Amino acid sequence: MAIIEAPPTEQLALTGTVESDYKPAGVFTRPKSGGTGWKSWLTTVDHKKIGIMYGATALVFLLIGGFEAILIRVQLWSPRGTLLSANAYNQVFTMHGTTMVFLVVMPIGAAFANYLMPLQIGARDVAYPRINAYSYWMFLFGGLLLNSSWLLGGGADGGWFNYAPNNGVLYSPSHGIDFWNMGLFITGIASLAGAVNLIVTVLNMRAPGMSLMRMPVFTWMTLVTQFLLLFAIPVLTVAQVLLMMDRLFDANFFNVAKGANPLLWEHLFWIFGHPEVYLMILPAFGLVSDMLPVFSRKPIFGYPFIVFSGVAIGFMGWGVWAHHMFVSGIGPISVTAFSLTTMFIAVPTGVKILNWTATMWGGKLRFTTPMLFSIGLVTMFTIGGLSGVTHSVAPADTQQTDTYYIVAHFHYVLFGGAFFGFIGGFYFYWPKVFGYMLNEKLGKYNFWLMLLGFNLTFAPMHILGLQGMSRRIYTYDAGYGFDLWNKVATIGAFILASSVFLFIFNIFYSRAKAKSLPPVGPDPWDARTIEWMIPSPVPEYNFDPIPTVTRVDDFWYRKYGETKDGKLVRIAATEDVVQQRSDGKHIHLPSPSYWPLVAAFGMPIIGYGLIFNLWLCLIGGIIVVGGLFGWALEPPDDPDAAHADHDPVAHGSDDGSAAEGDTVGVTEKEVEPVG
Amino acid sequence: MSRRSTGLRIFGVIVFAIVVTLFAALIYAAFQNDGKPLDTFVPKGPSSQEIQNLVLPVFAVAGVVFVGVMGAVLFITWKFRTTSEDDPEEFPEQIHGRTGLEIGWTILPALILAGVAVGTVATIINLNKKEPDAIQVQVAGQQWWWQYKYDLNGDGNFDGPEDITTATEMVVPAGRPIQVTTTSNDVIHSFWIPGLNGKKDAVPGIRSPLKLEADEPGVYRGQCTEYCGLSHANMRMLVRAVEPGEYDTWVTNQLKGHAADPTDAKALAGKTTFKALCAQCHVIKGVNDEKMKTATVPLTAGVAPDLTHLMTRGTFAGSILNLYDPVDPNDPSVTLPASDVAAAGDPGAALTGGTVDTSRVNRVSLEAWLRNPNAIKPNYAQGGRGMPNLGLTEAQIDELVAYLETLN
Repeated sequence: MAIIEAPPTEQLALTGTVESDYKPAGVFTRPKSGGTGWKSWLTTVDHKKIGIMYGATALVFLLIGGFEAILIRVQLWSPRGTLLSANAYNQVFTMHGTTMVFLVVMPIGAAFANYLMPLQIGARDVAYPRINAYSYWMFLFGGLLLNSSWLLGGGADGGWFNYAPNNGVLYSPSHGIDFWNMGLFITGIASLAGAVNLIVTVLNMRAPGMSLMRMPVFTWMTLVTQFLLLFAIPVLTVAQVLLMMDRLFDANFFNVAKGANPLLWEHLFWIFGHPEVYLMILPAFGLVSDMLPVFSRKPIFGYPFIVFSGVAIGFMGWGVWAHHMFVSGIGPISVTAFSLTTMFIAVPTGVKILNWTATMWGGKLRFTTPMLFSIGLVTMFTIGGLSGVTHSVAPADTQQTDTYYIVAHFHYVLFGGAFFGFIGGFYFYWPKVFGYMLNEKLGKYNFWLMLLGFNLTFAPMHILGLQGMSRRIYTYDAGYGFDLWNKVATIGAFILASSVFLFIFNIFYSRAKAKSLPPVGPDPWDARTIEWMIPSPVPEYNFDPIPTVTRVDDFWYRKYGETKDGKLVRIAATEDVVQQRSDGKHIHLPSPSYWPLVAAFGMPIIGYGLIFNLWLCLIGGIIVVGGLFGWALEPPDDPDAAHADHDPVAHGSDDGSAAEGDTVGVTEKEVEPVG
Repeated sequence: MSRRSTGLRIFGVIVFAIVVTLFAALIYAAFQNDGKPLDTFVPKGPSSQEIQNLVLPVFAVAGVVFVGVMGAVLFITWKFRTTSEDDPEEFPEQIHGRTGLEIGWTILPALILAGVAVGTVATIINLNKKEPDAIQVQVAGQQWWWQYKYDLNGDGNFDGPEDITTATEMVVPAGRPIQVTTTSNDVIHSFWIPGLNGKKDAVPGIRSPLKLEADEPGVYRGQCTEYCGLSHANMRMLVRAVEPGEYDTWVTNQLKGHAADPTDAKALAGKTTFKALCAQCHVIKGVNDEKMKTATVPLTAGVAPDLTHLMTRGTFAGSILNLYDPVDPNDPSVTLPASDVAAAGDPGAALTGGTVDTSRVNRVSLEAWLRNPNAIKPNYAQGGRGMPNLGLTEAQIDELVAYLETLN
């Protein structure tokens, strides 16, 4: 169906009598929809609120992970640093990596996917709204469980990659790695549920006319990302189950003395771990592909190439995992094979860089904050990509791997790439989400400060690595020539931290200032994709009516027409093609629910139970089962859900022309999306 | 949106200038290799040279691409910027793509990479060629030091009576290939002497080959590069390449034991202490090696460094401490380096079984280590990983050091 839950009004009317006969017990009554208080956030199933919660939670974890990064940099300021003990340092770098990957970059990607993707395809919500809420709560509880280890005996100390057998009880007797295991189990369930949900949403819930090849690039990249998650997360979970059996129940999956092969963990981890890298970067690629055309005033150069290179990265990402293991002793044949596959995954990545550059070529570039961050991504990611090619050369990698050169590489990819894209995306979509613009001047200072701090922090690490500084060392000695660049990197880290604080300051500053400014309107950037044709902030119902899509950048071509020789002419005023806020009463939206929160709440209790006392598992298990029971049995709607004033005409689809919001006289068409 | 702010422009230009300067300084720094014992760009043997021959052109290609992309982006942002004179309703030409161009820039990087791939495969093949007359050495990692076993008679067994077991420091003849086999007694470590070759993980239960050869006599340093737990940072290694004749003398000396009691009374008392406390984990050939063959060592890795020829090594405690002062401490004209490990301590005559120059022995570090190993190199001695604090008295430490000084 093109439009979730809304169109089959006749069917709803038919079942109405059955519904009214059903008198559920009081506890099973659904919470009322339309609230704005804290309770509405706990019970919400609205993809927009969930997206905001993902983003806000990720920003909090960013501060935690960033604080850990600062601790690392202060410790390495000079030889024989004394801020952290060896034990504390090992926990801090493990938790820094784990936090940044699983609790910051992935969830910010999820925040954009949740908030944005349904808007970009013209959907009311995601396919499974309650599962969406469940995903968020699982992510939150997993992250909290993981970080609660700091208060309950110390964090994990095995590195984010957590190689066996160093992750065994014999070598890591504290509970840190158990927390790591349980926390990532739970966030893994969140990612998996989210992946299924978003894939179904993209494939089934697109607005009429939105074929796959008319989807915005961000939606495409979300689709690829979620497929990567769908297949990657289970591999990690398998490895984690084996590890849990080893650690908690004395199994021998990684016990070398009993004949285990420790490379099993490495293979499983990196079969997950490498697609993981791509699923962290692809959402940012999508954002940049949507932002660059807006501020270049030109369409994306080679939309099919951009899309298919993203899909190609998604496929090829499965064939390169052992390049993390070039020195592990896998043998020259495997090394050669993975060296070659790794080199050639650079091709689709390079295509993207060149297509973005060509998008800007010949444009009229407007250097707004989102544009600056987009250009930042293109340039900084290029550095990360090139250093990536140098270690696809396996013999070179035997010198570089596990040195700071690698640390430099992946920070250029994940910070200079993914994070620059995300910050640019925040600036770009902030008015759409919150109804006010982030201050542009502060935003540009923000960009330059971040660019400075980022390069000062991570560029010197290339040289540190090439001159022999190993990763994951809590200390180094004078006489190795590491002193100077470590100092530069530490200074850079503080500048980088201040740029993050400037961003947070900008949020509150702009929010205060916005009260005296006129509302931003639906389309502050003169943008291209259909999420910009609805009011800002987005009404709960998203679109009214659901637009019919006729081409890529559909909204743009409602405003502008293109002549045969590539000239652009305005055909309609923006005010005339955007949608007005309606009361939305006639639109049926999924009702809020308590149960995703309840069902998710049981999981960390099971986690603590497995670590400390198995009886707790029983309590947690009862909560989970009870939550699912309530989930299954609660009525389909909240008590206030209005069905009476359903009017088939009111949410008829429009025809994609520059017409008034409501196409009067057009009867509802059955338009099936292509693909 | 096009309102200009002078402050912002100045700030942007300053940041841009700093970043460009930084990149230039880093490229310059990449070629400053003095005083950087772990530098990967200073090959000292055929394998590292082979890697270098591949790496330099790859870096050059990457550099060209880097300059090209950066230059293109900078040019575009300058050339196609919106100026205040521009009509906001005037649009650039709407180009949706050029298939030919895009196919071109898909094929071009593929071709460049194909060239890189040919060189890579050739180098991998070369690096894995077997050397028939190589000296066989098994390198075993454990938390947090390295053990070396030499199969001198080539019977494939590293524990025969004609074989050598040593620790911390690997002695090799310059100009002769060494076939190293890495393995581990506990967790995964990685053996890396950047001057001689790339790294190879030491994985428990797995034996992996690595070729080493030093062109010239000298000391080549390394650092464990696979995170191996608490004291990963303090797990270093050292390859000492010597002239072939000196190597033969070293081998002859290494095969000897220390059955005879030392003549010095203090050293003799130290030997008693060794047998009472240290001999539970450490071996000295001729003293407790027969007994240790049947004993259960209470260590997770099951093994502690062999001390038979301790004084022939330049470093101890996982190569983080110098066993000898790098310069003559009695010479007032030379100042000791700020760090104890800045120079590789030279065992001098002791290396090949000659007398130990006790005036050069770094007693300060040796005594501090015996006093409380955990303070110097964090460990989990209570969990059988690392050396415990034995609560030795100062007199015992003095006697032990006197005894250790006889282990040439």
